[in-house]
Amino acid sequence: MGFNVLSLLVWLPVAAAAIVIGLPKRRPELVVPVAFALSVLTLGLAGYLVVDFDAADAGFQFVEKTAIWSDLGIDYHLGVDGISLFIVALTAFLFPISIVASVHIEHRRKEFMATLLLLEGALIGVFLSLDLILFFVFFEVLLVPMYFLIGLWGGERRLEAALKFFLYTALGSAFLLVGIIFLSAQAHDQFGSPTFNYLELLELDISRTAQYWLFGAFGIAFAIKVPLFPFHTWLPDAHTEAPTAGSVILAGVLLKMGTYGFLRFNLNLFPEATVQLAGFLAALAVVGIIYGAAVAIVQPDLKRLVAYSSVSHLGFVVLGIFALTSQGLSGGVIQMVNHGLTTGALFLLVGMIYERRHTRDISAYGGLQKVMPWFAGFFLFTAFASAGLPGLNGFVGEFLILLGSYARHPALTIIAAFGVLLAAVYLLWAYERVFTGEPDKEENQALTDIGLREVSILVPLVALIIVLGVYPKPVLERIEPAVERVLDRLEERTGFESPLRIDDIAHPTEEVSR
Amino acid sequence: MTEISYLAIGPIIALTLGVVAVLLIEVTWKPRTVWLGVIAGASLLAGFVLAVAQWVEASDEPVIRFRGMLALDPFGAFGAVVLTVLGAVALLVAWPLILEQGRRAAEFIALVLLALTGMILMAAAAHFIMLFLALEVASMSLYVLAGFNRNSAASNEASVKYFLLGSFASAVFLYGVALSYAATGSLTLHGTAEFLADNVLLDSAALLASIGLLIVGLAFKVSAAPFHMWAPDVYQGAASGVSGFMTAGAKVAGFAALSRIAVTSYGPYIADWAPAVAVIAALSVLVGTMLAIAQSDIKRMLAYSSVAHAGFILTGLVAGIDGVPYVWFYVVTYAFQVLGAFAVVSVVSGPAGTKSPLTDYAGLAQRAPVLAGSLALLMFSMGGIPLTAGFLSKLYVFREAVDAGYLWLVLVGALASVAGLFFYLRVIVLMYMSSPSDEAATSTVDIRVSDPVRVALTGVAVVTLAFGIVPGPLLDVVTSALPF
Repeated sequence: MGFNVLSLLVWLPVAAAAIVIGLPKRRPELVVPVAFALSVLTLGLAGYLVVDFDAADAGFQFVEKTAIWSDLGIDYHLGVDGISLFIVALTAFLFPISIVASVHIEHRRKEFMATLLLLEGALIGVFLSLDLILFFVFFEVLLVPMYFLIGLWGGERRLEAALKFFLYTALGSAFLLVGIIFLSAQAHDQFGSPTFNYLELLELDISRTAQYWLFGAFGIAFAIKVPLFPFHTWLPDAHTEAPTAGSVILAGVLLKMGTYGFLRFNLNLFPEATVQLAGFLAALAVVGIIYGAAVAIVQPDLKRLVAYSSVSHLGFVVLGIFALTSQGLSGGVIQMVNHGLTTGALFLLVGMIYERRHTRDISAYGGLQKVMPWFAGFFLFTAFASAGLPGLNGFVGEFLILLGSYARHPALTIIAAFGVLLAAVYLLWAYERVFTGEPDKEENQALTDIGLREVSILVPLVALIIVLGVYPKPVLERIEPAVERVLDRLEERTGFESPLRIDDIAHPTEEVSR
Repeated sequence: MTEISYLAIGPIIALTLGVVAVLLIEVTWKPRTVWLGVIAGASLLAGFVLAVAQWVEASDEPVIRFRGMLALDPFGAFGAVVLTVLGAVALLVAWPLILEQGRRAAEFIALVLLALTGMILMAAAAHFIMLFLALEVASMSLYVLAGFNRNSAASNEASVKYFLLGSFASAVFLYGVALSYAATGSLTLHGTAEFLADNVLLDSAALLASIGLLIVGLAFKVSAAPFHMWAPDVYQGAASGVSGFMTAGAKVAGFAALSRIAVTSYGPYIADWAPAVAVIAALSVLVGTMLAIAQSDIKRMLAYSSVAHAGFILTGLVAGIDGVPYVWFYVVTYAFQVLGAFAVVSVVSGPAGTKSPLTDYAGLAQRAPVLAGSLALLMFSMGGIPLTAGFLSKLYVFREAVDAGYLWLVLVGALASVAGLFFYLRVIVLMYMSSPSDEAATSTVDIRVSDPVRVALTGVAVVTLAFGIVPGPLLDVVTSALPF
């Protein structure tokens, strides 16, 4: 391998932000093309990563490691495995789309694009970091561009929403930081030298009580990010007030930091606590699934509706992760990607209609099918994907999650399955109110259908939604080895036996013949 | 063994000569103010060079000179290096204020240099009486600087308040010295340590009381809660151009003295004093943060935030000698940050101004992008956002405290730093996200940043970012800047 592809993935967007800021003031028309081209280049790198990734290898690949401050054991340490691979790809995929979706932004456009690109670099950094301090730095730093994105380019109540978002997540980070420092102090005791290296910390022998506390410290940080019920109250405001690109990134990638964090750190570092607390977290997830869906049904605001649907969908991901079975975990990982695509598309669609009518009130619409047939088609398609219609991507993830979690939490899974039903209710009911009937309101009759630029934003998303729904195998076979490794570790460390492993399904006949 | 070492008092001589030269030249020639600045700069430069020479000399072989009065060790040398640089930056920041003073400029410059002399001596003193004298030299100069603006009632109030409460704290400190002498029979820091190493005290009450009084006396100087009451009034009442220096200098010198006493004299008694320090740290962090949230004046907010930062720095000290390098790291980077923050305040509300309501900062990003950018960076750093020195400082002191077994203190600190983000971010929101209110827009239509302030701000920003991203060089230095 000739070049450090992971470093490039992290730092190219950051450099791109600097380039965009440095563009001459006299040429404002250059901003969007340059930002777009550089983000597409990043996407190309991510594509290279996916292609070059060795599907059979369960460990970390493309690893880069340089000691930054060896006395403290802080390294610049990047690596990618099956769990982070597709989240990184998703991140790189959503940014060019967000950039094109934001061309209408006039107010400080240059700063807007630079902020987006900075956010991209920090997000990719979060998913690739194998050093806990490095992880924390990216985790915390990206709050700043997101904060500005909401606070400078958001809706009417943007200041309040931005501050709420920042303080809420910073509160979680405080616990996370204390947990990380405590872990490193343990490493100091056991290894004789402090370290923040994730791979070395895996070897730690942590007492059961300490595991509970650490699980709690990490867990609160990630639960706020997901957001897991009852830590979700920041999310609807942040989503509603953020500009469209902000919402897409927030739902598409930022929330995944929480579920990724659970999977990467809690499951691996604190296995005993994980096994003990899995039921509790799964229960919280199910509460979130039903609660998020129920609240979404009654939302009068289209964007808030989509925001609450995220609470519900992310609940599925958490349920899958804490099922602690092969299917549950794989389903959780692939559902993170799916949710990024479908909810990203939904936010884009809501943004498009908002640009035209400047309201998100569902009751202000009606009969749009007649005036905006293309728009209606895309919306219906995305709603189906989001509700988990077989043949589209949402189905694959939700099915795997429910299958995987039934083996361990049957009662919870049955309740969660109603969440799928409720998703169909809130999405299709919203569709009915917005699109069907006659366009009886005057303002709606003059609306123009979406144009070429908007279609070209949606088409890549739609294509991936179909591809992942019909043929998820290439993705799943890259995720599975990494997931299996997590479960192996869990079983080896705690003596816990996962009720459902991939082998049980792959060779069902053997079992019978035995 | 020679007891006299001119190198040990080199920086002090340089600055004292500067004071004398500034005052004499002013009364004889009455030169333009800029020449006084040049003299002050030259004496600071000389002090800096001598401090570096001390460092080079002392890192091989630290010694005590003048019959136990002064230490010639990396700790004191580093203190002198930091304080001379800090003094230079402070003079740059205060330059517009100095120019406004007319013929009183010389007094002002002389007082700043004199305060620095005392502060450098505080970091190097190895004898309790020497330390007390140094403390008084520094404090007296600061009392006068606080009230330098004779015609302002707020300034006078600040000065008197600072003087009364400060004298009280000095008395407490002196009482601690007396009790320590009673318990150990020694007035030198090392003599105390030796006595405690060789003898077992049957009744340690007097000793513990003395440690307590010494900590309280110095906690007052660094404005740690519950001894912080004076800070907001004094920092607000003093002219904006000099508040930063008062905060930064007092913190650096105060923590240097506190660290030296704690680890040199009472190192073996860490189990007794560390819990007390931890309680003061926790109180400072909580009180400082909570009260800062309620402020509507940025100078008061910075004052309360400095109380919280004093708490964070003390968090590093509970680890004893292991924590000292990180106490240094924190206090040095923080000193420059707070100096920079007050520099911005001094431009926005005028160098001689005392009040600086937060509403003045609405839409500052449009009126003065450089100021707004610097202040935003400093706010992020004080709030502990990564890639700034403020984040690493917190990380280091937290790590030391966890290693020393003070997990509860770190939890308090981490939560308070989140709450603290609220008021740091509020400033950024005001500057970047709200438009200036009509009055503010007309009252300060054009905000011009004079060149000295611009240079100072650039330097502060570079320090904040550079040590936030590449802390290595500074960490190398502070880990060897240990007291002898």
